[in-house]
Order: sequence, then C-alpha cells, then structure tokens
Amino acid sequence: MLAVWNPDQPEITDLIIQYDPKTLERLPVRKSDVLDVFAGFGNRKALRAVAALPDHQGLLDNRAIDRILISTHWEMQRLAEEFYHGHRVWDLLRRVVATVRATGYRDKLRVIDVGCGIGYTTRWLAAHIPLQKHGIDVVGMDLNSTLIREATRLAAAEHLNCQFVQGDAFSREHSGHIYLSTGVIHHFRGESLREFLRRHEQPDTFAFLHYDFQPSVLAPFGSWFFHYLRMRTAIARHDGVLSAVRAHRANTLVDAARSAVPAFASGIYGAKIWKTPAPRVFHTLFGVRRPLLDELPRQLGIRIVRLGELR
Amino acid sequence: MTLFVLYVLALLDGLLCGARVSMGRCAVIAKRAYYIRAQLRGVIGAQIISTISLVALILVALLSARRAALHIDLEAAAERMLWVFIPYAILVVGNILLRLIPSTDIRSATSVMMLGPLTAIRPLIMIVGVSYGIWSSKFWETRLLGLFVLSLMLGLEFALNRLAANQQSREIALLVGN
Repeated sequence: MLAVWNPDQPEITDLIIQYDPKTLERLPVRKSDVLDVFAGFGNRKALRAVAALPDHQGLLDNRAIDRILISTHWEMQRLAEEFYHGHRVWDLLRRVVATVRATGYRDKLRVIDVGCGIGYTTRWLAAHIPLQKHGIDVVGMDLNSTLIREATRLAAAEHLNCQFVQGDAFSREHSGHIYLSTGVIHHFRGESLREFLRRHEQPDTFAFLHYDFQPSVLAPFGSWFFHYLRMRTAIARHDGVLSAVRAHRANTLVDAARSAVPAFASGIYGAKIWKTPAPRVFHTLFGVRRPLLDELPRQLGIRIVRLGELR
Repeated sequence: MTLFVLYVLALLDGLLCGARVSMGRCAVIAKRAYYIRAQLRGVIGAQIISTISLVALILVALLSARRAALHIDLEAAAERMLWVFIPYAILVVGNILLRLIPSTDIRSATSVMMLGPLTAIRPLIMIVGVSYGIWSSKFWETRLLGLFVLSLMLGLEFALNRLAANQQSREIALLVGN
C-alpha cells in the first residue's frame, strides 16, 4: 500500500490546528510533532506539505495556517458545488422534516450541521430553501474558530438566515432535532465512532444524516485524479485523497450506529446511482427514531429505493 | 471563414479558462456575477491574444515575398487545426449542455468524468492541434506563426490563473492578515 493511502494515519488538517475541547482555546502546535506523525507512516508527501508550512521557533504560524485552511475550504466548497451537495442534502432532509411534521410536531426544528467548516451546506440551505416556511432553523457548528468566523462572514455577506456557532454540537445548550454532516464521520475511528454516534441519543433528536465518501476499490484512484485536477494546495490534495481512503464502509457505519444508538433505526441512504450497481461518490448514514418508521416510506415516495435496510 | 472559426473557438476557450481559474476561489453561494466577471476576463484575454495573432499574421504576410502561396499554406494549416479543435470543442460544449438535464447524478458525472479530464488535457489538445496544423506546412513562416499562437494560448490560462491567485491571496490576507 502507498504510504499516502494508509487509512490509519490522520489527515494533515487534523493535526496542524488544535483546540482545547473544553475551553475551545486554540492550542500551539509544534511542527516537529506533526512531522513525527507522518514520518512514522513514511508519508513523504505529507512530510513535504508540512515542512513547507511557516513556523516561529518550531510552532506553526497560526495566521499562515488560517490562510491555508480558508483557501482549502474554499476549494472544498467547489467540490460540494460540483457534486450538487446542497440539492442532495435537501432532497433527503425535506422528507425527514415532512416525516416529523406528519407525526404532529409543530415547533421549530433545529437542524445542526456538525463540523460545518465554512458552512457550505448550511448557507446553501439558507440561500435556496424557505426555511421559515418549513419551520426550520439551520445552525452550523464547528470547533474551529477560524472556519466559523469565515462561515459567519460569508453568510452575512449574502444576508442569509442561518447561524454559526463554535462549540460542541451535542452539548445540552446546542443540541438539535436533526443532525447532519458532510465528510466528518470518517474522522471518528473505532470506539470514537461509536461515541460520536452515542451522543445523538438526546431527548429532542429525531434523526441524523451523515454524508461521507463511499469507499470502493476505485475510490482512491478516482479521488486522487479528481483532487489532482481540482485542488491547488498540496494539503487539500493530500487530505482529499486520504479522506476517500479513510472513509468507513457501509457496514462499519451501520453496525456502529445500531450498537451505539439502538433507539434509532439506522441504514445507508443513496449508495447506488438509481437502480444500477454503480456507487455514488457519497453515501449517507441515516438514522431516525423508531416511531417515525411507519411514516417515513410515505414521505420518501419513490426515493425509498435509495434506502438500504433500516433497522 | 477558417480564421473566423478559430477566432470563435479562441474566445470560447478564453471564456472557459476564465471560469476554470476562478473556481474554488470564491465561497459565496450566489456566484453568477463572480463567474460572469471571470468569464469576461477570459474573453478579454482571448481577444487580446487574437488581436496580437492577427497583427503577427498581417506583418508576416506583408513582409513575405511569396504572399499568395503563404496565404494558401496558412489557410491549409488553420483548416487542419480545426480537425483537432472542433471535436474537442464539441465534446466540451456537449458536456456543458448535458448539465441542463435536471439530475444531480448526471450533472456530477459530467463534471467528474468528462469536464475534469477534458480540462486536464487542454494543453495537450492545444499542442496536438497546432502541431498537426503546421506539421505539413511548406513555409517556415506558417510554422513560426503556429508556434507563436500556441505559446500565447498556453500562456492565457497561466496568466489568468496568476491573476485569480493573486486576487485570492489578497482577499484571504484581508481576512486573516499577513
């Protein structure tokens, strides 16, 4: 296996910016610590990308890292745009919302975009969907203050009706009725994946929709080609390909969800293109409260064929 | 007529180059105005290149002692180039038109599987098209002009890309600081 395709290693952006999970204070990052991690995996591509990052007395330069993060996330947004990700999310989310409404729930629904980055999905929804009419509040949450600041700036520039918060999406203060994420869930491995899913077990939560790369034999090659053509920064190219390599298989996600949050019926949505065996680039770990199971097929309509076994 | 078709293709190429280099460099949701400006920059760039090429062509023709024969040779070279450029343009435009179909899967697929690779091979297409055009030409003036135009075409995307990168760096520096 190529060192750069080793799924056991973290992505560069996982390491070059660190926050205290309790205080949300940004922590200094020693460049040599990051280099040591990738040296351990023999990943020369990552070593070159990290070595090029500016530092002061061994600590990564925060401003330089912020500049890289923003340009990387702007590029990542382009991928989401090319995949029509906003349309895809709304196509499922609206049916989940309709399912919840059909059970008689009339209050505002709080949709949390977990690990929202610069908030593309959240802002797309706010820009294209009459959220007030649907009785939905969309909130983008992330631990990264730079990205939340940028998301807030972008939303304000377009007068979008959405909110961005730096913090823990599963805390009592911020908890949501529906959780969604994009390209986040593969960052959680092993027990931390189950722990992440376990945190969805909150009194108000009806459903979750976690979009991520769908692994396949060809996915790393396709991802490499796509990122090589589309991304401009070395870190974006590296992490983009590694994300596809690290993406969880459907059964890993479903098994983790079913064991971590048994009160939700979980399954995979949108794995194949129409009724063909061709896989979609993204698939969705989908979970709903069991009392919603009777109504859900009615609201999904013909989209029901996209839903795998839900239990 | 051949020159006019090449001119139209150059403008189309400039328009697409302008769009391509601007992608991933603006994160607002409504980007129509941004893309129109970027495409306009591309078209203006292509227009400048076309004008320079035309001036070069006229100069070469004026300075040549065998003007009539050179005219025929240039015309033949340009026609051969179209055998490469027109199918490429049809493929690109055809894929862009496919995106009118309101299916997220089809739109994504055209992007990932067609427009991406077609974008990647653009420089190669330029080199193959011009080389095929001038390969069997009889006059060194035709070959020299072909190579001159090729260098301008390849330089266009590079220049537009530098322009967009500098603009992006300035914007990000304003957000984060230097």
